[in-house]
Amino acid sequence: MLLKEISAQLQAGKAKIVKELVQQAINEGIAAEDILEKGLLDGMNIIGEKFKKNEVFVPEVLVAARAMNQGAMLLKPILAESGVEAKGRVCIGTVEGDLHDIGKNLVKMMLEGKGFEVVDLGTDVPAKKFIETAVEENCQIICCSALLTTTVDVMADVVKAAEDAGVRDKIKIMIGGAPVTQEYCDKIGADAYTIDAASAADMAVNLL
Amino acid sequence: MNIHELLKTTAQSDKKKALPILSFPAAQKLNVTVEQLVKNSELQAKAMETIANDTDTIAAVSLMDLSVEAEAFGANIRFSEDEVPAIIGQLVSDEDEANALTVPSLESGRALVCAEGIRLAKQRITDKPVLAGMIGPFSLAGRLMDVTEIMYICYDEPETVHTVLEKATSYLIGYGKAMKLAGADGIMMAEPLAGILSPDMAEEFSVPYVKRIIEALQDENFALIYHNCGNSVLSMLDNIFSQGAAAYHFGNAVDMEAVMQKAPCDIICMGNIDPVEFFAQGTPESITQATKELLHKCSHYKNFIPSSGCDIPAHAKWENIDAFFAAL
Repeated sequence: MLLKEISAQLQAGKAKIVKELVQQAINEGIAAEDILEKGLLDGMNIIGEKFKKNEVFVPEVLVAARAMNQGAMLLKPILAESGVEAKGRVCIGTVEGDLHDIGKNLVKMMLEGKGFEVVDLGTDVPAKKFIETAVEENCQIICCSALLTTTVDVMADVVKAAEDAGVRDKIKIMIGGAPVTQEYCDKIGADAYTIDAASAADMAVNLL
Repeated sequence: MNIHELLKTTAQSDKKKALPILSFPAAQKLNVTVEQLVKNSELQAKAMETIANDTDTIAAVSLMDLSVEAEAFGANIRFSEDEVPAIIGQLVSDEDEANALTVPSLESGRALVCAEGIRLAKQRITDKPVLAGMIGPFSLAGRLMDVTEIMYICYDEPETVHTVLEKATSYLIGYGKAMKLAGADGIMMAEPLAGILSPDMAEEFSVPYVKRIIEALQDENFALIYHNCGNSVLSMLDNIFSQGAAAYHFGNAVDMEAVMQKAPCDIICMGNIDPVEFFAQGTPESITQATKELLHKCSHYKNFIPSSGCDIPAHAKWENIDAFFAAL
């Protein structure tokens, strides 16, 4: 019941209540992994599915993700102590020359909603920085976002930088954004192209 | 024929003419950079004149540069040689900063450069209306408060957002009056950020302010065209149409046929060939096919005008632009 309530309050974007309920669940001895999966991630998954169907919109996803992160912060030390690891690690950024970030932010939240740890590089990120970060932070996936047609080619540079660094076979590269297409993804040899944030999160799960 | 009559006649015509958001690609023909274009009245007027002379668009549209207004308020701006300027940072983050925000004069930033561009364009373009470009109130507030952060603040401190929206609306009415005085026949007002809101949030944070701007500026000789290329517009069409614009312009994130099916027959709607996939990255063949498909689905509606889905990028290929018009 308490875990369902956490999920429901997360979906409503009630960060303060979610944090209180997560603490209550911890105090009651519910396993941190269960609080995470059946409370927080359950709520985010429902939001993600509703977002795909246009039943909720960007602001609802943002506040739900904020509620999730507030709750997850309480669980992090407990999960780390018991050796529970994230589903995977992703580094994400908007490519060099591009300052748009709302799409990238949404993808980040949906990835966290699937249990990924996300290293957010922000915007205007050079190709080499994606690779350096992925190596340093042990990321399995790199996600590149672009909104400007003139910056899309940086994504090809990311693929090349991964090859030059000798890590191409260890790191999956996903791309997305308004000017990006499946055709372009195939052309540059990236691993996946997704059309929106919810699809990106699903794809990341499939790529592991 | 005034702008309202032109829009009506175009929509009702069996052989459709188009009104794409087409301005930046003129930079190629003038051999100037986007940065030069956005900073210079004479170049802006030349760009509109070039588009008016070289294409069959029903009206000349000024630059959809959504940075002018935020820059005037004091937001940080980054110019680029070949892309529209970008607003960076967050000028307003809380109630105190919202209260301290002052509505700038038109002398601030490039507003008067753009108004002068309209005045010069109007002198040179005598056979088509000239439409100025302007940002919408919620989209402007988003640029002042950061487009992601404003979403949180709408939930946490809605009154703070309303404070900024009041000031944004006041500025936009003044800017619109300057465009009217400069001789513009109307304004294309872009409110894309409202297009990712829920219907309830759009009803609170965008619609009332858009209505005020339209009521303040629109008259029998001056038209406000409302642009919203967001993907949630289909769920808020009633709200959108309640705003009282002369026409409504939609993006390629939505199915134009679905819009036309829901739109009352006396409300003019425009859209929506993908500016990136077809105008910039496509071929003459692909854009011809896309345009013919759009016409097949929508041209029988007597309130439909074909257009691009949004602003056509500066580096879009002119062979594709020409193919779009040829396909009509």
